[in-house]
Amino acid sequence: MGLLSIIRKIKRKEKEMRILMVGLDNSGKTTIVLKINGEDTSVISPTLGFNIKTITYQKYTLNIWDVGGQKTIRSYWRNYFEQTDGLIWVVDSSDLRRLDDCKMELDNLLKEERLSGASLLIFANKQDIKGALTPAEIAKVLNLEAMDKTRHWKIVGCSAYTGEGLLEGFDWLVQDIASRIYMLE
Amino acid sequence: MEGEADRSDASADASALRKKHLAMLERLSNRHQSSSRPDKPGSSPPPAAASFESTSSFLSLFGESKRSIESRLGQCRLADPSLLKLQFDEISTSIADLEKLVAESSYYLPSYEVRSSLKAVSDLRQALDNLSSELIPKKKFSFKNKPARKEPTAPQPKGAEAENRDSRPAAKAGSLAVAVPDSPGFRNRANEVLAKDVRGLEIGEFTLSDLESCEVRLIGCARALFVHRLRNCRVYAGPVTGSVLIEEAENCVFLLASHQIRIHNAKASDFYLRVRSRPIVEDCSGVRFAPYRLHYRGIERDLEDARLGEETGNWSKVDDFKWLRAAQSPNWSVLPENERIETVDISNLSA
Repeated sequence: MGLLSIIRKIKRKEKEMRILMVGLDNSGKTTIVLKINGEDTSVISPTLGFNIKTITYQKYTLNIWDVGGQKTIRSYWRNYFEQTDGLIWVVDSSDLRRLDDCKMELDNLLKEERLSGASLLIFANKQDIKGALTPAEIAKVLNLEAMDKTRHWKIVGCSAYTGEGLLEGFDWLVQDIASRIYMLE
Repeated sequence: MEGEADRSDASADASALRKKHLAMLERLSNRHQSSSRPDKPGSSPPPAAASFESTSSFLSLFGESKRSIESRLGQCRLADPSLLKLQFDEISTSIADLEKLVAESSYYLPSYEVRSSLKAVSDLRQALDNLSSELIPKKKFSFKNKPARKEPTAPQPKGAEAENRDSRPAAKAGSLAVAVPDSPGFRNRANEVLAKDVRGLEIGEFTLSDLESCEVRLIGCARALFVHRLRNCRVYAGPVTGSVLIEEAENCVFLLASHQIRIHNAKASDFYLRVRSRPIVEDCSGVRFAPYRLHYRGIERDLEDARLGEETGNWSKVDDFKWLRAAQSPNWSVLPENERIETVDISNLSA
């Protein structure tokens, strides 16, 4: 017990996690962040630039970087890669036509060396919309099984509109990051 | 910072933390147990619970799995090439399990053991990588050759993009391996009046794509509206409770009410909007904006239900992602009042 509490103290400094949230425009990134933080989601303009939200989740402090997904500003995503512990990729599961774009952008992101150590959570968002693909179908389209085996990843169906699935996703991400941070000490 | 730690209830705290930690370990081990495949030949080391807080039992467990992985690596050279990929995957999963074991045990292990175990893990991984690049051509999850990007026709980015898009349907058929049920919408039509009353249908998303010289009338609420490649069309739509996404429209008129509206690659089109947030344009030119002007019997109630009952004035607060400056964007403008259309009444759908 003594040893554990010492380690806990060392860890106290590291209870911050940096989460980068990206995905195509209109996938619901900002809505997810606001919803999980219990804020009003009824008026959200498309993100011109980025939002940073610091929330306390379980016993961790999450710094969530919610970066706009419009095509013009995707090239700026890379400015946010440094020091990322967790990566959240948000998919609009009802936007079938742009799944190819979605796959391409995700592939590009995963080639990025600075993100190679980050745990990857994929939110198959908008599950509340009739006609949306299921998380399993999204996983198939994005060919997630072919991902580098060293990557820690999980796909979770969710609805930022109702809030369903959001906690499941964040629970996994936070636990996964926490277990990695333990390893480094 | 550390001094603030509540010493008084430190012991109670520590035991609570310990409990939590154990719970976390258990969850983690459950997780990787459930994720490892059942048909795997005795590879996965048992979860850490068994070896809890004993360095020697950790070391023997670790050594055992390490030897097993090494011997399986050795066997790969003799294996049937068609099964190689599967074997590598299995070995890779075993290595990940081993790494997890180290991670879970790291808090009680001497730091030397942690370091050397991690080194061993990374050596194993390296050996696997070397072997797999030697035995099978590397198959990375990537799009290395995206020829459309480098095509000589690149000078005008718009042209290149159009080509890119044209080449997509083929790619799509391949990648969309799942059977996609046809979602509601109108596609590939010309010179028609396309009308639909979606009230009571609990419609999700609605799609308008590849329409030429059509008039679209939608009565009732949808959750999302996707618009793609419209020319010389008029689109009169009831409220959308989620978002509207428009890509590629030319010489069109849209009457839309929605929570969010995104307009990409539109040219010479007019938008009569009611929107809860700021509409955005990207890669547009000659697009003009005015307030929503649609009527059908019961539209007030639909708008109310969609929380679009009130004019917000947002129709004129357009953000242009291609014009990030304070001065007015040259790509869009407010439609002069004397050029705006009268209120459109689509109560009689088919007229």
